Amino acid sequence: MTATAATAQISGGGLAARRALRAARVRGVAFAMLGLLAIYFASANFDVPAKFSLWIHEQGGDSAVLETKVGLLWIVAAIASAVVAGLQLLRGAGLRWRRWLLVLIAPWIVALLADLLAGKPAILTNVLAGSFEQATPIAMAAMAGILSERSGMFNIALEGKMLIGAFTASMTSSLVYIATGNVLLATLVGIAAAMAATGLTGLLLAWLGIRHKMNQIIAGTVINIGAVGITNFIFLRLLQHNTQYNAPPSVQPFKLPFLSDLPVLGPILFSAKPYVYVGYIMVIVLTYMIYRTRWGLRLRASGEKPAAAGTVGINVIAIRYRALILAGLISGLAGSYLSLAAGGSFQMEMTAGKGFIGLAAMIFGGWHPVGAFFASLVFGFADTTQSLLSILGVGVAPQLLASVPYVVTIVVVAGVVGRVRGPASAGLPYEQG
Amino acid sequence: MSRVTSLFRRAAIPVLSVVTGLLFGGIVIVLTDFDHLSQIGTDPVGAIGGAIGGVVDAYGAMLSGAFGDPTRILTALQTGDGADIAKAIRPITETLVAAMPLIFAGLAVAISFRAGMFNIGADGQLLLGALGATITAIVLADKVPAPVILVASIGAATVVGGAWGFLPGFLKARTGAHEVITTIMLTYVAKLLVFFALRSPYLRAAGSTSPISKDLTPIVDVPNIINLPGLRLDYGFVVALLMAVAVSWLLFKTTKGFELRAAGFSLSAARYAGMSAGGSMIVAMTLSGALAGMGGGLMVIGTVGQLSLDLSNGIGFNAIALALLAGLRPSGVVLAALLFGALTQGGKLMGVESGIPFDLLFFIMALVIMFVAAPGLIRGMWRIKSKPAAEIEATPASKATPA
Amino acid sequence: MRLELRDITKQFPGVLANDRISISADRGKVLGMLGENGAGKTTLMNILSGLYKPDSGQIFIDGEERTFDDPVAAIRAGVGMVHQHFMLVPVFDVVEAVALGAETVTGFLGTFDRAAARKRIVELSEQYKLEVDPDAKIENLPVGVRQRVEILKALYRHSDILVLDEPSAVLTPYETEELFAIIRSLAAGGTTVIFITHKLNEVLEVADDIVVLRRGRVAGTADPKSATRQQLANLMVGRDVELIVPKGPAKPGDVVLHVENLQVRDDRLEMAVKGVDLEVRAGEIVVIAGVQGNGQTELVEAITGLRPIDSGQITIGGHHTEKSSPRHVSDLGVAHIPEDRGRDGLIDYMTVAENYILDSYHKAPYSRNGIFDLKAVRERAAQGVKDFDIRTPSIDTYAGSLSGGNQQKVVVAREFSVPVQLVLAAQPTRGLDVGSIEYIHRRLIEQRDGGAAILLVSTELDEVLAVGDRIAVMFDGKIVGILAGEDATYENLGLLMGGASFGGGLAA
Repeated sequence: MTATAATAQISGGGLAARRALRAARVRGVAFAMLGLLAIYFASANFDVPAKFSLWIHEQGGDSAVLETKVGLLWIVAAIASAVVAGLQLLRGAGLRWRRWLLVLIAPWIVALLADLLAGKPAILTNVLAGSFEQATPIAMAAMAGILSERSGMFNIALEGKMLIGAFTASMTSSLVYIATGNVLLATLVGIAAAMAATGLTGLLLAWLGIRHKMNQIIAGTVINIGAVGITNFIFLRLLQHNTQYNAPPSVQPFKLPFLSDLPVLGPILFSAKPYVYVGYIMVIVLTYMIYRTRWGLRLRASGEKPAAAGTVGINVIAIRYRALILAGLISGLAGSYLSLAAGGSFQMEMTAGKGFIGLAAMIFGGWHPVGAFFASLVFGFADTTQSLLSILGVGVAPQLLASVPYVVTIVVVAGVVGRVRGPASAGLPYEQG
Repeated sequence: MSRVTSLFRRAAIPVLSVVTGLLFGGIVIVLTDFDHLSQIGTDPVGAIGGAIGGVVDAYGAMLSGAFGDPTRILTALQTGDGADIAKAIRPITETLVAAMPLIFAGLAVAISFRAGMFNIGADGQLLLGALGATITAIVLADKVPAPVILVASIGAATVVGGAWGFLPGFLKARTGAHEVITTIMLTYVAKLLVFFALRSPYLRAAGSTSPISKDLTPIVDVPNIINLPGLRLDYGFVVALLMAVAVSWLLFKTTKGFELRAAGFSLSAARYAGMSAGGSMIVAMTLSGALAGMGGGLMVIGTVGQLSLDLSNGIGFNAIALALLAGLRPSGVVLAALLFGALTQGGKLMGVESGIPFDLLFFIMALVIMFVAAPGLIRGMWRIKSKPAAEIEATPASKATPA
Repeated sequence: MRLELRDITKQFPGVLANDRISISADRGKVLGMLGENGAGKTTLMNILSGLYKPDSGQIFIDGEERTFDDPVAAIRAGVGMVHQHFMLVPVFDVVEAVALGAETVTGFLGTFDRAAARKRIVELSEQYKLEVDPDAKIENLPVGVRQRVEILKALYRHSDILVLDEPSAVLTPYETEELFAIIRSLAAGGTTVIFITHKLNEVLEVADDIVVLRRGRVAGTADPKSATRQQLANLMVGRDVELIVPKGPAKPGDVVLHVENLQVRDDRLEMAVKGVDLEVRAGEIVVIAGVQGNGQTELVEAITGLRPIDSGQITIGGHHTEKSSPRHVSDLGVAHIPEDRGRDGLIDYMTVAENYILDSYHKAPYSRNGIFDLKAVRERAAQGVKDFDIRTPSIDTYAGSLSGGNQQKVVVAREFSVPVQLVLAAQPTRGLDVGSIEYIHRRLIEQRDGGAAILLVSTELDEVLAVGDRIAVMFDGKIVGILAGEDATYENLGLLMGGASFGGGLAA
């Protein structure tokens, strides 16, 4: 059970069984309530027009327009909710509800968005493309988390590592840019430096957890606090007054040849910053590596039953070290996104919980790269919608909107009951004979 | 082994952890001292000397910021002039003022760790407790006598903080949601809630554009211990000490405390012994949140006097360090909080006088946690023999398998 | 291949686990290694499989000296190990579990060549008649099949020397017979087999040679053709042992525990107890005999209130307890010695005194109104330590630092420190030395003679026969037969434990 492994291993006994059944019923009722809520919303604002448009080829070009009424969208959401609720109640704990949840979430989000926009038109392409952008660092953090936990190590230090990555990338990239004036070189060196720094941090985490058998949650907390301390300190002491050292060239979107010409999909998926593409590749490669290769087999064995791996001569300790270093490298890349691609410079505590949200995405995605990627998308969407709504001046306090991703994370972590198991031995020290 | 040497042994690791943390902090100050280091090519001795001088200045400022100037205190006491005395002893009282919320938060973290729960969200509980006290005070202002407002505000802070702690405890017990993630997320939510509340003109200081509450001092103020101008040490500190005694009593002299400790070591054995494991989680987290909330409440109606977003300023993080430093013992929490209070108070002066950002302390705290939680590091660095196995003490935070 | 170990010595802090042990096993022979818990068998095998390094001594394979720095070296030398606790990753399928650590890869990214591994596993399982579905998930396989997977794992690595550590512990008598057949056929094919056990009957049945270990040393060797159970038992323990604990006839009184048509689910929501009827009377010991994992754990947990029941009735002393909490059940005068004492019975990092009051801390004299009377706690704990002969430096010692036998004494002392009407003891002697086993048995009989009803769960036939007044055999979640203690034999118990039902005839 895990930092993150939210499997309810509270008791050895049969409570788990009772919980799973009860949780299934609670979920069913909750889905049904969502359905009723959707009907209520439908009746409240039935005739408000909803107008979404999608760019077909490029920003500002032709667009496909979807025009309907808010009420109709809510009715679709209500039907979807009713279907999922019915399935959940009928099949009980056996339902693979996470997949079905997507069926419910998608129409709900569209309806909610239309309702909040209250007749204002919205460009869906930008929202969706923005979601992919926002999802990228979260998904990368989730990938790092998956690697760590699959090897048997908790990694709540992702947050701190991303912060270190963001900081190192910004400063290094700025310095290289000042020295050479070469944007590409500055960016690449910045990213490399960020990954090196976080790779070392990953090594530190592994060393504390394995060599010193420090509780892995405390070890992660050490890194999170230390990262805040050191990056804030250097920012205030050096960067604040020497802004040229914190002005990296920012990473620009890059249209993938051919793919970006796909109608509708091109502008959403393939006209993004290169980080997004690296994210896609990472998900595919990691999935293959974890489930199809010798390395993956041994990694999973280390996290599930390290003793079994040890008795056939697999070096579990080495696997865990390597996994944590690799996770460090990935979280550094994720961090560099924040300062090089998203923010344009480093700001104090700019990760704002993205590392933890990445962990939530990992749990929600069932420790599977693809699942975690989709979970990250949901978070990314929440983020994007929130900024869209505050730009449009929708009448909800920005602070409340800003809290949505955190609340969603809590709901997600709390909602994960029983069915999805994390690696069985994650977080437990391993004694090599 | 005599009591003294045993006490010395027990204190050795925590003390050396702090010392080592400060040493590393000094190294960071030197390494980031570009003004001096840039001259290393032309004048290496001067450059390094200057940089080290910077460390000495910084830590010197920290020391005098925390404890004041002894000769000045003596002189002031001899003259007997109230204003002089107040000025002279102000650093010490400010250290105690800084220690007050740290005691609360440290106790909060210690009680949760004892029960095997990692409450990383003391910051949020403290902030929301403070919000509860602020709203209560402003709502009740001029309607009821000040002592009633005082009690009601503290009560509200405790209840709201407790509720914010109850939530992750309940979620963990019922759904298995890991408290590390939920408490962190709830801290972000708490900050946004406070931000949101402070938008309201009802709470916000008149004419202020930043999210700061009205000055609560005219409405309610915890009485000061020393009535001299410029001193703000108040009876909140005494309440903190009483709470330490209460937590100690609860943990070691009551059956509820026994249940919490048992659950912290082994949920499974606790359940087999007929205890409610989920109940212990909820109780521990609720108490933890209530303590943090009470601390926050006492800050806004006492020493600080108003609510702002940076009220907590990492107190929750520091609390983790000091709770571990204290070996999760309430008495140790008080001592460690005094030490951290001195660091915090001194750190502020260090920021003002030598321009070393206060945030360095977070880095030092992280190192302190690391050294305390991995004593092998300290033993290796300072060549201390390890204790015989039987003497090694168990704390749930280091032994309990996180669920 | 011929295996020889010469003067193997291994010292752990405070324990000389192996003291100049020399043994040898010839090609194609089965060496039975007998010894009780703590005799040093497992240490020796861990040395042989490369997990531990011996402090001194040599290992020869076909006369050639070998040193094993890690498990890989042992595997390369042809030593295959089947551990007592299976070393299989539960979420893997059979192919993955078998190939782990010996995977072949195809070029791209080190892709695991699953097809090749699967093919070889199918071949091996046909060749050695080890029937296994290569695509089944380990956690869904019955234990007997998992053991076959473990043996396949060794064969997959071309092991010529196969070490089986307590292989029958989790098997039904029928499955054990199957295992013996496999062992014989492997030996006939030239594999050297080392069979580690503490069960006398088994070595006599399957071994070609017997070596007995005691306290880290070779206590003697025996020829299975001529040796008797009593001789082996004496060699194993080092003194004359009475295989039967002295006890008088039971004087059954009123029904204390009554269980009717009980159904309980396990953690995976599968039905584990499938309609059990059971009665235990005051003054008798009823043993639930059966191979581990046939629902005994769930049955006991349901009676104690730790596990919710699906349907059925439970009464204790006339009170319905189907929905009672563990605390309520315990307050009815029910003592519970849990199956996993390290995890559930004790808290390692609490003191002996604290563990002594672990389930009665909330009652007088230990506490009043939620506040402890620490003096009373200390006095009672000190008394308990004395009465139950617990060997501990003080009552302030952490329970985790005591020996297994003394830990169990702390549990027993705690449970028997208050008057009880029902004792639920789940495998209370597992992993203990003979002295401690005798001690526990005596205490149980003492309680019985004092008028308590005892329900004892045991997987050890010797124990079942030694202390049971009535014996209920559990198989696949059901009680398949109830025998009077004097009617029970190895043979009829064995049949029942394998699932053969006597119909309604003998069931009470």
